[in-house]
Amino acid sequence: MSATATIEANKGGAQPAAQPLANHIEAKGLNKHFGKVAALEDINFGIRNQEFVSVLGPSGCGKSTLLRIIAGLIPYESGSATVRGEVIHSPRPDIGVVFQTNNMLPWLTVRKNVELGARIRKMPAQARDHAVDKVLEVLSLSKFADAHPHQLSGGMRQRASIGQALVLDPPILLMDEPFGALDALTRDKLNVELLRIWQEHRKTVMLITHSIAEAVFLSDRVLVMADRPGKIIEEVVIDLPRPRDAAATRALPQFGEYVAYLGKIMGVTK
Amino acid sequence: MSGVSPRLVAYAQVVSFFGAFLLFWEYGVRYFEVKSYILPPISAIAVAIWESRDQIFEHSMYTLAEVLIGFIAAVVVGIIIGMIVYVSPFAQRTIYPLVTALQTTPKSALAPLMIVWFGYGFVSKVAMAFLFAFFPIVVATLGGFAGTAKNLEEHFRALNAGPWTTFTTLRLPSALPAFIDGCRVAMPLAMIGAIIGELVGSDRGLGNLIMLGTASSRTDLVFGCIIVITLISLVLYAAIECAAKSVWWRGIQV
Ligand SMILES: Nc1ncnc2c1ncn2[C@@H]1O[C@H](COP(=O)(O)OP(=O)(O)O)[C@@H](O)[C@H]1O
Ligand SMILES: [Mg+2]
Repeated sequence: MSATATIEANKGGAQPAAQPLANHIEAKGLNKHFGKVAALEDINFGIRNQEFVSVLGPSGCGKSTLLRIIAGLIPYESGSATVRGEVIHSPRPDIGVVFQTNNMLPWLTVRKNVELGARIRKMPAQARDHAVDKVLEVLSLSKFADAHPHQLSGGMRQRASIGQALVLDPPILLMDEPFGALDALTRDKLNVELLRIWQEHRKTVMLITHSIAEAVFLSDRVLVMADRPGKIIEEVVIDLPRPRDAAATRALPQFGEYVAYLGKIMGVTK
Repeated sequence: MSGVSPRLVAYAQVVSFFGAFLLFWEYGVRYFEVKSYILPPISAIAVAIWESRDQIFEHSMYTLAEVLIGFIAAVVVGIIIGMIVYVSPFAQRTIYPLVTALQTTPKSALAPLMIVWFGYGFVSKVAMAFLFAFFPIVVATLGGFAGTAKNLEEHFRALNAGPWTTFTTLRLPSALPAFIDGCRVAMPLAMIGAIIGELVGSDRGLGNLIMLGTASSRTDLVFGCIIVITLISLVLYAAIECAAKSVWWRGIQV
């Protein structure tokens, strides 16, 4: 299989040691237990500045746990986890997090919801208003600024959730299956939007997903996890040309090859 | 029928149902020759209310004051205890189970005790209204605080939100629907508490008037008081409903 051969070759070039740029996010020998359940075992990876990395894995393999550790929301036992060289012990202002369940407060308008992070982090009012306007515009939510979350579609709510993280313009974005609850069509559209935002604003992104196509379409690199205990079993560099495009990129033969290869690793296809 | 709005039909149904009920009461007691000290015709009750209107009004205001003060005290103490339990793990371990256990005490059994403690007058009835209203409010408030969505709490933690910000921006608004539900239950209970207190021992109030009416076989006046008590309760309940409208996000999941 030539596709596999290409990918294997890519894998060789993806060794973190060969990279001149420092890792923005790094885990070394990370372990995490919940009681007796080993949620994560010996996790090692790095994500470079402005790199887009997806984490793929079956449900329950510890993806959310890994993201929570990086986000500084839960402690870990052994090994190390660092962001920009600093050991993680609490949530950091330079990290924005988007969770699978959108974090809209039902009693606030979309604008107030998007503004929330900026308010909590005490951004000056003028800068805050400016940032909120910009984010609403980027996410095509300006018209819905004064609507309440329950008046929006699921896709719009998830976009607003991303807006909540973007408003502080954090250099690092962690996303836990942000489109997991959406239908395939909406998901594809939001993938394109996310890609556009990332291409314009270049952030370090760690995206957790269980959609292989989403991971291939968006990422520079995909980490594949297995469960019981949760560990990283494979790392695949997605060497598709950038800037990527909704139709053209998905139509590339390599796109299909990556999808098939990752499907094979994950046991979806034989 | 085509020109008649469904709303008008529904309205007509309600009016005719209650009209029929009142007519049946009025002429039923006459037809079956029910003694008027057992069940007076509705017209006699209306006359009794009208003739004793000054007396009924004065006693109503007295009872209303007991109910409102008891209820407001229950709201204030309920919120304070809710907040203490929220901020203090110690209170969570001690006060919370205590309140939950005391909730099951039959409050009416405490009426004689309240009179021993606070006397025959106003204060013992306020205490009764308070006792009846307090538990539903505090239990609902605690439930409201505890029921804050876990994902939203995590979201606030990820933003490094301080405890006060988290409380005012997240916990309080998300507890409000449950709190209002508690008030909804507590309001009629406050009235029941005050009336029980007055029945057990008092010198004023609608409960007292009922006792006087019963002692002098003025069943028409007793019924008059019951109707007035019901009306006051309805008005108070409607006021809570009005307040509840501003907490429109009850039950909305996004
Ligand atoms: N707070 C927790 N307490 C106990 N077990 C947990 C907790 N969070 C996650 N787990 C367990 O850890 C494992 C990984 O969970 P999670 O990270 O949510 O997986 P994923 O996001 O990949 O679906 C699962 O077996 C889950 O049951
Ligand atoms: Mg998960």
